[in-house]
Amino acid sequence: MNFALLSMTLPLMTALVLLFIHRRAGSVVIIASLMSLAAALAALYQVHLFGVQQMHLGGWQAPLGIRFQLTPVNSLLLVFTALVHSLVALYANYSRHSITNTTDFWPLALLLHSSLAALWLSADLFNWYVTLELLGLAAVAMVALSGPKAYRPALHYLLLSLAASLSYLLGVALIYGRYGFLDIALLADVTQADATTQAALILMTLGVMLKAAIWPLHLWLPSAHANAPTAVSALLSAVVVKGPFYILWLLWTEVAPVELAQTTGFFLAIAGIAALIWGGWCAIRTPYLKVLVAYSTVAQLGYATLALGLLLYWQQTQLLVALWLFVIAHGLAKVSMFLVAGEMQATLGSKRVTALKGATQTMPVAMFAFSVAGGSIIGLPPSGGFVAKWTLLQLTLASPIHWPWAVGILIGTLASAIYVFRVIVISFNRADPLAPDFSPDRFSHWLAMLPALMAWLMAVVSVQLIQFLGGLP
Amino acid sequence: MTAIQLYLCLGVSLWVLGSLGLLLAKNFIRRIININISGNGVFMVMVALASREETIDPVLQALVVTGLVVAVCATAFALRLSVAYAQSKQVSER
Amino acid sequence: MIQDWLTTYLPLILVLSSVIPGLIIFSLKESQVGLRTTLNLVGVFTQLVLVGYMLLAVTQGTTFLFSLPFLPAGDLILQADALSLQFISLSSVLWLATTVYAIGYLEGTALRSRFFGYFSLCVSATVGLALSGNLLTFLVFYELLTLATFPLVVHSGTPAALRAGRIYLAYTLGGGAIAMVGVALLHSVSGSPQFVPGGYLSGFLTDHSASLTVAFVLLIVGFGVKAALLPLHGWLPQAMVAPAPVSALLHAVAVVKAGAFGIIRVVYDVFGIEASDQLHLTQGLLWLAAATILYGSIKALKQQEIKKRLAYSTVSQVSYITLGVALLGPIAAIGALVHLVHQGLMKITLFFCAGNFAETLNVHRVNEMNGLGQRMPFTMAAFTIGALGMIGVPPIAGFISKWYLGLGALEVGQDWVVWVFVGSGLLNAAYFLPLVYRGWFAKPPNSWPDNARFSGGTAGWKETHWMLLISTLFTAALALISGIFAGTGWSPLAWAQFIVSQEFSL
Repeated sequence: MNFALLSMTLPLMTALVLLFIHRRAGSVVIIASLMSLAAALAALYQVHLFGVQQMHLGGWQAPLGIRFQLTPVNSLLLVFTALVHSLVALYANYSRHSITNTTDFWPLALLLHSSLAALWLSADLFNWYVTLELLGLAAVAMVALSGPKAYRPALHYLLLSLAASLSYLLGVALIYGRYGFLDIALLADVTQADATTQAALILMTLGVMLKAAIWPLHLWLPSAHANAPTAVSALLSAVVVKGPFYILWLLWTEVAPVELAQTTGFFLAIAGIAALIWGGWCAIRTPYLKVLVAYSTVAQLGYATLALGLLLYWQQTQLLVALWLFVIAHGLAKVSMFLVAGEMQATLGSKRVTALKGATQTMPVAMFAFSVAGGSIIGLPPSGGFVAKWTLLQLTLASPIHWPWAVGILIGTLASAIYVFRVIVISFNRADPLAPDFSPDRFSHWLAMLPALMAWLMAVVSVQLIQFLGGLP
Repeated sequence: MTAIQLYLCLGVSLWVLGSLGLLLAKNFIRRIININISGNGVFMVMVALASREETIDPVLQALVVTGLVVAVCATAFALRLSVAYAQSKQVSER
Repeated sequence: MIQDWLTTYLPLILVLSSVIPGLIIFSLKESQVGLRTTLNLVGVFTQLVLVGYMLLAVTQGTTFLFSLPFLPAGDLILQADALSLQFISLSSVLWLATTVYAIGYLEGTALRSRFFGYFSLCVSATVGLALSGNLLTFLVFYELLTLATFPLVVHSGTPAALRAGRIYLAYTLGGGAIAMVGVALLHSVSGSPQFVPGGYLSGFLTDHSASLTVAFVLLIVGFGVKAALLPLHGWLPQAMVAPAPVSALLHAVAVVKAGAFGIIRVVYDVFGIEASDQLHLTQGLLWLAAATILYGSIKALKQQEIKKRLAYSTVSQVSYITLGVALLGPIAAIGALVHLVHQGLMKITLFFCAGNFAETLNVHRVNEMNGLGQRMPFTMAAFTIGALGMIGVPPIAGFISKWYLGLGALEVGQDWVVWVFVGSGLLNAAYFLPLVYRGWFAKPPNSWPDNARFSGGTAGWKETHWMLLISTLFTAALALISGIFAGTGWSPLAWAQFIVSQEFSL
């Protein structure tokens, strides 16, 4: 548990220091993120050795005190967050095209990291509200970093995010008024399927669904993610939307009574399929590269929503493995895709997909990284995306009445294949390659390749991952 | 209807009004005000819930205080951002 | 000790023997021709030596098995049994021929490092596919093959190539996704154990017959895309815009054979002959294959472009393999397995010849072939061997496979299939003989075009680039030899009989 706390507090402390010291901020952040990663790995190992761990902050016991918990899922998410932050910090510091190399980016990135870590560790409805607000404010500030053109999307994002938090908070108030607890473990034992609980759960669900950009509340995501600076887009798509998702998952698996969860599960699963189809369709249609990648996030969140929905609908807890594998595989691939998209946009001086003509010749490494990441997004074997999809398919195909869901997964796969290969095919066009203004930045391209390769390497440790997430020894 | 129930209803209606206003308003300042109205609605619900019994529930009041702090920060940030947006629009129009 | 090490790691090394050169080639500069060629040839010869050793070892009863934990109840398994070695021998021999051909063919063109890199990866995927020890591993390499071949199909980067590339992807990725669902469905029933002769599903027939039937259909559709079964063949004629060596490899080994090989594995080693028979799965496949054979031949007859005609001929010829498998008899199985090799040898020869004609004399269409035999006698001779073999004229390889397929059909009592063979043979003659006739007996044009890349030569040994010629003659000779010496112990036929004796436990 101590290591997990260290992983959370290190970025926070460093952020505070950076408010006063501006020199070499990038290097400091890289070191802090890597140290946080090491601490998170140590925490993961502890969970592997000793199982689930609890901590009561300041020694106060629940219901008054705040409880932190460390489980297989959130220890893995801690590692994942620190890993993504380290990679993005490396990119932001060393890429020639990084416009985030100002001092403002660095403390904000650390704050984001820290609030996410706090979110993963919390097991308390109100603490989640606080971390959600912190996360939202840091994210909005980071979107605004890309200058005047992003102010409008940033403001939209902020207002929506605040409205979502308030909806969530109202739900929390109702739950507390009904049961007198905020800790999810205590609530799990007492919740009943009455009208107040139902209303409270719906309010909280709407709030987190809006923040997690789950269809049909995803409309804010493409403009916010596509207009942010490259490094920020990568962070937002890869980790930030996953935070509210984690709350949604615990809310319905722990807090909600089973009969309510089953009904909601059905609708969530439908929303997941709709997200797959709608997000895929928009990604196929859009003329802009970063918007395509952002819509791909909407679609890929559909897989996670589907897994969550089916988990609740069938009450099959094994599906949590598929759910979190999707989240992690998508996060790694998406970092890679956004970094590549940003690099290409900066090198080619155009936001359009069609500008990528001949990119396999002019920027082979970047294009290869995009393809590798895209392969995991599509779920081609043997990638992390494939392992996640396979786990989901196994339970879906197990009995014939569940087969219609598999058709939805198939459609999602085909849609993602179309939008990924749409980009790749254009890059093979040799007719008239657009000459880049200057030599591409090889180092950043290789850096962008790294998370994509990690997404595929997940397949190598897939047995261990599945066992670990499933809570098996 | 007791006073507490009245406050609860008022709080919820404020929340609904604010949320509707947020959806319908175009101007950013109006929308920020709307957010604050719906926020106050939520806090009102919480305060009302806290005072249902003889001994006032300190946890909910602590939560409201925390919520207020968050709301103030968020509002300040939103206002600054909308000023920046307005300035950038003026620059681009000029 | 060293024996153990070899039996474990040799399958992996076999795959890596083309992956590693491929990855190094990617990093080379365009001008490093010598190094690139060396790497290619080192890879090819390493693979040939290893395959030779493994062939020898397998006849003596050694089993090669490499496995890696991957998914619950589904490891990644690479194994070398008689069937996989049949396919690998074909692919590595033809890799040699195609590499030599491609080096000559692409001389002086751009982006050769990229080409040869993906080319090696494509061969690796084929080898991996052949060595796959269970359905899950097969699926992995099946998808990797799609990814590795796509850059080769669109290599020229022209709008036509990109269009063909899109169509190719639409078919193969769609098929791959369907195959994935099929594999996942079977996995949910039985896990993914190792392939065994006779299948591993016989214990699940009573409880899961619906799931098994659906899985069979999904797998056949998924693999049928690459095997160009009737409604799924649309990509194959399009994909011939690729450079000649790529078309040759695609049509002879890599892609279409991957599909056919998948069908063989599914019927023989996953479902097994008895289960396929009990579930009545193969009758539909039989009809589909027969229809594809006739349809491909009829379409080929209508094509005026040489490569297009060859492409439709592939559609027809590959279905011979599927048909032989669907007949479910041992003699038909021998025919199918030996046709896998024979069709590869003949079809690669024909595509090499088409490439030679196009690059030497700008001949792309059937009516431009008049008198080609006078200008390019060796290539024309190779073409004749390939064409006659396709028709089934003894003693060329094609005759052997058709003979066994026909006997096999009679053996299981499906006499009508023989008429399909007769009809297809006649159609083959109808679309190949005019080409041969024009080449040898029609009057040549007054002057041959001299604006093609290799048009400087004269009839005889210098009729085209020597690398193109030598690989063409090499594969033509193989097609002839494997027909003439089919009765000896080391022919593809003998090996097919060896496999069938295992599969049918005779």
